[in-house]
Amino acid sequence: MADQRTVRRTAGIVAGLLIALVFLLVIVPGALAIGLKLLGIIDASYARSALRLTVPIAFAGMGGIFAEKSGVINIGLEGLLIISAFSAIAVMWFIGGGGTGARMIALFGGVLASLVVTLLFAIICIEFKADQIIAGLAVWLIALGFAPFGSIVIWETVNSDSVGSFDSLAMPLLSDVPYVGDVLFTATPPVFLMLAAVPFSWYLLNRTAFGKHLQASGEDPRTLDTAGVSVRKVRYMGVLLSGLYCGIGGAGLALNAGQFAGGGETITSGRGWIGLTTYLIANYNPVGAFLASFGFAGLDALQLQIQGVPGVELSSTLIEIIPYVAVLVVLAFVGKTRMPESAGEHYESEE
Amino acid sequence: MIDQRGVRAGDEGRESTYAVKMDGITKRFPGVVANDDVDFAVERGTVHALVGENGAGKTTLMNILYGLYEPTEGTVHVDGVPREFDSPRDAMDAGIGMIHQHFMLIEPMTVAENVVLGAEPTKLFGLLTDEDAAVEVTRDLAERYGFDIDPTDRIRETSVGEQQRVEILKALYRGAETLILDEPTAVLTPQEVEGLYGMFDELLGEGKTIIFITHKLGEALRAADRISVLRDGELIATVQAGETTREELASMMVGRDVLFDVSSKAVELGDTTLAVEDLVVDDDRGIRAVDSVSFSIDDGEVFGVAGVDGNGQAELVEALTGLRSAESGAITFDGADVTDHSRRQRIADGMSYVAEDRQHRSLVMEYDLLRNGLLGCQRLPAFSNGPLVDWEATGQYVDDVLEQYDVRPPDRSALARSLSGGNQQKFVVGREFERDPSLVVAAQPTRGVDIGSIEFIHNRLLDLRAEGAAILLVSSKLEEVQRLSDRMAVMYDGRFMDVVDPDEVTEEEVGLLMAGEQPDGGAGDR
Repeated sequence: MADQRTVRRTAGIVAGLLIALVFLLVIVPGALAIGLKLLGIIDASYARSALRLTVPIAFAGMGGIFAEKSGVINIGLEGLLIISAFSAIAVMWFIGGGGTGARMIALFGGVLASLVVTLLFAIICIEFKADQIIAGLAVWLIALGFAPFGSIVIWETVNSDSVGSFDSLAMPLLSDVPYVGDVLFTATPPVFLMLAAVPFSWYLLNRTAFGKHLQASGEDPRTLDTAGVSVRKVRYMGVLLSGLYCGIGGAGLALNAGQFAGGGETITSGRGWIGLTTYLIANYNPVGAFLASFGFAGLDALQLQIQGVPGVELSSTLIEIIPYVAVLVVLAFVGKTRMPESAGEHYESEE
Repeated sequence: MIDQRGVRAGDEGRESTYAVKMDGITKRFPGVVANDDVDFAVERGTVHALVGENGAGKTTLMNILYGLYEPTEGTVHVDGVPREFDSPRDAMDAGIGMIHQHFMLIEPMTVAENVVLGAEPTKLFGLLTDEDAAVEVTRDLAERYGFDIDPTDRIRETSVGEQQRVEILKALYRGAETLILDEPTAVLTPQEVEGLYGMFDELLGEGKTIIFITHKLGEALRAADRISVLRDGELIATVQAGETTREELASMMVGRDVLFDVSSKAVELGDTTLAVEDLVVDDDRGIRAVDSVSFSIDDGEVFGVAGVDGNGQAELVEALTGLRSAESGAITFDGADVTDHSRRQRIADGMSYVAEDRQHRSLVMEYDLLRNGLLGCQRLPAFSNGPLVDWEATGQYVDDVLEQYDVRPPDRSALARSLSGGNQQKFVVGREFERDPSLVVAAQPTRGVDIGSIEFIHNRLLDLRAEGAAILLVSSKLEEVQRLSDRMAVMYDGRFMDVVDPDEVTEEEVGLLMAGEQPDGGAGDR
């Protein structure tokens, strides 16, 4: 798999990120000095917090791959994160109590809510042949309106009450591995789910019949149809998988924080959009999408920690620009991202 | 050969000698009867050709056999057993495989992945696909039928001939006993066509049955044992290939005698309509495509440009019609210098253009014929009403074209996409010709068009000439240029090798010119 093209691509992405960093250094006065100070921040707790912040981005990114590979562009990822984040907290609040078990039920509730909205989106796009971009935007806008509204109904303000967050669990044996164990295997359930989802997604896409059908459906649905596989079913599965992933991502984000914040861009603050950029950067490879998510989350975590460093003032908006600059650089200069041939196009089986 | 096959079919001792038998098949689409009570039977172990003009219903009939369409009436028997196919999967299960004209392959996937798509070998209790098994099974199949192909190549790295072999392997992998090939030679080079016939022999050797659709009579006669002719959705006849002739088949196909020779060359030249001087044009990559070409065309003259595709003809045509700017040189049209005129101005000047690629350049496939009829004319006074389009005038114009050019269906609300290739082209030709042009630039006007429509288009071209229009005919079909032109240029590597009299010149001489050589070593460059 690690052929020359992949290597070149990776090199290009690293270059892209470096260019983005230089861009940052140039526009922020005194950035170099800050950079040196920041090096001191990076430690195990920083890595853990970065990993936690990766959850929503990586799930949105990996989920988006399934939908788009099947030929349905799902730009509603951000909306699905919001819906599931809100629903998970609401479920948590209603069942009350603490404990990891209750939180898993809340997570499941978030996933369910995301799946319902996704199913609606899928029906609109596949059965009624709506424009996928517009339908995706609608998902986001509806979520952006509905979640804070729901919050007000339940808690009388756009922000929910605090319901407590996931506790870190230590995986037996694995957590004792030096360095890695502390970061990767002492974490919250959503982080574990994410770490499992990365190889799972890769295998599903590349080593199963379903993955091949997914790819064929996005490239040339007619061929798949004539091969005797229902394009409709494959596309439903692809889109619903994106809903499942966003559900875990959004619920995981909220339950890691223990609260739903509904002001402005809400608690997700654009992470679904960043997820969208990660799989474009990674050319639809879930492993790459995860790594890109981790990179962006790392910057995000950095930005949070910088607030605590005296004498450094860095606008968080500038940090937030980085993923978009990086995606522009990658698309423009590395340029090997190839969308599925029929992505965004409706398919109508003949009779 | 035929005897051997007969014996083989008998040996298998099945109850029917017909691999496929279709009885009384009728297929109606809204407003169209595509197949009308067709009885079609194919003997096992033979090659059966299905011929007919574009739109005669060949592909529809085969799509029914392959389960893509359900027949409105009629029954399908496979190996003597009546069958009803709801989907291609049912047809495949019954041993029918189809290779479509436009290949159904997933470009980024490998040969092996494409062959097994939809029926992947798996391991780990069906959880994972078995990539090695897919490669193995593809390699075995390819070896058995003598196909030279690497299962691990990606489709986008393979040639058209190889892709066709992948399609055949796909059908064989699904257990096809009867293979349907839709216009299999349309995309192949002459050498690849011979290779395809070789594959037919290999397949027959393994007891397979082959049905192939074509509108090229020579191919049917060359490769098939029996030939069925469809016309307007009806089966006209099924004949033994050895007992018929090209002329007989052609008249069955078209429904009247076809003259394979259209000609009338009474030339009365008028003034010079188009004069081109030292025209230089670059292609998209900035490479010189047309290298100082000069010529002129008079009123009532057909000037032909022959040559192998890709020697600058396309760029020459684009420069003349205003789609590409010239690097240098001058184009004079009706006495005025139009070198810098836009496409729109040239249309207004009276320049018509039948483009080489009708689906991309001449028609909007998702528009109906009314709106397609307006394309290019939308600024002409005859079609406008102040700043608005005069739809009434447009409608009349389109109806005229539909009637005079025998476009089927003659329905201005039909989408361009729904017409067969021949009818699309007749419509485009009609739209461009009826505008009363003083110059027609016709690029490959009969490419991918059936015999009946070719004859029709040729006749209209000559009519237009008789009316005094100047015509530039660019075609890679030498016989077409030779038959219709008054003067003929042979283009090679961006230059005119020579301008010759098509009646005087021999095919050998033109062949040499097309290859960039001067016959008799004379002349030198012009």
